[in-house]
Amino acid sequence: MTARAGELSPDVTADPKNWTNRLRGWFEGLVPPGQALPARQPVYVASWIYVFGVLTLASLVVVVASGCVLALGGVAWWHVSAVGHYFNSVHLWSVEMFFGFMVVHLWGKFWMAAWRGKRALTWITGIVLFGISIGTSFTGFLSQSNFSSQWIGAEGKDGINSIGAGAFFNVLNPGQMLLWHVVLLPLGVGLLTLIHIILVRRRGVVPPIDAELEG
Amino acid sequence: MSALSIVAGAPGKYIAWGVIQISVVNLAIIGVMVLLFILALVVPFPTHDDESGGQEGRGR
Repeated sequence: MTARAGELSPDVTADPKNWTNRLRGWFEGLVPPGQALPARQPVYVASWIYVFGVLTLASLVVVVASGCVLALGGVAWWHVSAVGHYFNSVHLWSVEMFFGFMVVHLWGKFWMAAWRGKRALTWITGIVLFGISIGTSFTGFLSQSNFSSQWIGAEGKDGINSIGAGAFFNVLNPGQMLLWHVVLLPLGVGLLTLIHIILVRRRGVVPPIDAELEG
Repeated sequence: MSALSIVAGAPGKYIAWGVIQISVVNLAIIGVMVLLFILALVVPFPTHDDESGGQEGRGR
């Protein structure tokens, strides 16, 4: 049996035991129809305080892109090249913007109790993202390959050891810190950001406390 | 100015208040963020008032 273009074959789509069908159904059910990239929002979203989430996301895109450029030249590139120094500065300042926007986003969501309306997991993933982002930034400062990174490593080792993490997370090992910075922690941030955004799209943007729009 | 001269430069200015010690630059950044937060709450957001169905939803 053949299907025309744009048409799904019934014997493929109907089988519930087919893993591809089940996976497709799971993907399709992640967000309500039309809510993945909605063009319209409730009237209360017309406030600057709702902009800081997407500003954080935009900053993250610049952080990752500039980090990818830095990965081409290596950790010492920015010491010997004006272009490398430029991208190092773009990376640093986009991180500064990322954290600034994220904290204002956090303040806004805290004061509007954004965990209301079955949005607890959205709040929790946001807080965990904040924590992982701090860890990613910390390993970035440890990867500068200069006296500053040495000083931060020497000062930070006792604190890390005191919480028992020093056995597998050695801040005096720049190679390990660099790999955590460019592989493991960005993977965590990327994955949790995706989950966070999906959760926002599933439940919609939280309304103001005095708005009777729930339910 | 090289990176080394930045590291070996003069120490930053700090404000000490009991157990709290913070650099002037960090305090200024926190102040700017608080100001940004307040402005985000009070500055009107530009909307398309000429669109119909304003109470149902607005395009962004």
